[in-house]
Amino acid sequence: MASNPMQQFTVHKIGPEIKIAGIDLSFTNASMFMVISASIIILFLYLGSKDKSIIPSKLQLIAEMFYAFVAKMISDTAGSKAKPYFPFIFSLFMFVLFCNMVGMLPYSFTVTSHIIVTLIMALFIFVAVTVIGFIKHGFKYLSIFVPSGVPVVLLPLITIIEIISYLSRPVSLSVRLFANMMAGHTMLKVFGGFVVSLGVLGGWLPLSFSVALTGLEILVAFLQAYVFAILTCIYLNDALNLHH
Amino acid sequence: MTDPDDFKTRLKIAKSKIKNQLINDNEKRGSFMGNAFKLGTELVAAVAVGTIIGFILDNWFDTKPWLIVIFFFLGAAAGILNVIRAAKKMQKED
Repeated sequence: MASNPMQQFTVHKIGPEIKIAGIDLSFTNASMFMVISASIIILFLYLGSKDKSIIPSKLQLIAEMFYAFVAKMISDTAGSKAKPYFPFIFSLFMFVLFCNMVGMLPYSFTVTSHIIVTLIMALFIFVAVTVIGFIKHGFKYLSIFVPSGVPVVLLPLITIIEIISYLSRPVSLSVRLFANMMAGHTMLKVFGGFVVSLGVLGGWLPLSFSVALTGLEILVAFLQAYVFAILTCIYLNDALNLHH
Repeated sequence: MTDPDDFKTRLKIAKSKIKNQLINDNEKRGSFMGNAFKLGTELVAAVAVGTIIGFILDNWFDTKPWLIVIFFFLGAAAGILNVIRAAKKMQKED
């Protein structure tokens, strides 16, 4: 009866075991839910952009809203130079958002509640932004580690601090998403367990908490996708427009 | 004397104004929450990264406890720097 609240996060294989060069590449429930989220996005955007009518249908309206939302976010935070990176940030935002939202359905699996998934995404962004910075500015890009107007005595110390601050970006980006999703889903399960163990007499209070928490979790799911995308824009902005 | 129709329209306008303000407040609260999440992890992540760097360097140079201590404090400084920067950015937006 009292099920483990962490059980929802277990990854298990679906189908046969696939091993290539000693690396386990089997299809798991995590991969399945990534495929589900990606297919929902593709289907939704395909149906939303199919008609292209002047008076939009509801689906087209939502699809256009997402487009405008991300486009405005990029132009507000990273300026017009970041326009070519719109497809990347849009797919990133949609993928994180839909993984979070699909995870809100009962009996589903939340892909973004695993740190390996979020860390790989964050590391990819981190490496990509660094490479873009070096391509655009060459070795001048290293000047982001040396703030102007610092006395020479303090310069080595400040540079080390700046480098640590730069390296902490992927960690904070991934931990934020992972921790929020995992904490929220664990809390939902814990309150759900209270409902069962307290029964008809005492279960109403945790049940009402569960309902409120579900609302909060949907807000958090959206908010975290937004924060993930906007921080990517901010990092991209730092790489594209050097200013210090 | 004002006629009742006039009063009704004025009431309607006032009510819609209040409603709009409530929606705005809710949107603002959402972005505040996002900022709050951002600041918390920003501080912790830099401390963690600094400590890990110190740990690795300690193993390299065989200076067991010292570099991890130094880099812990450097990481804390980097975290505070991150938070100050993020807070400055937020103030600029308002």
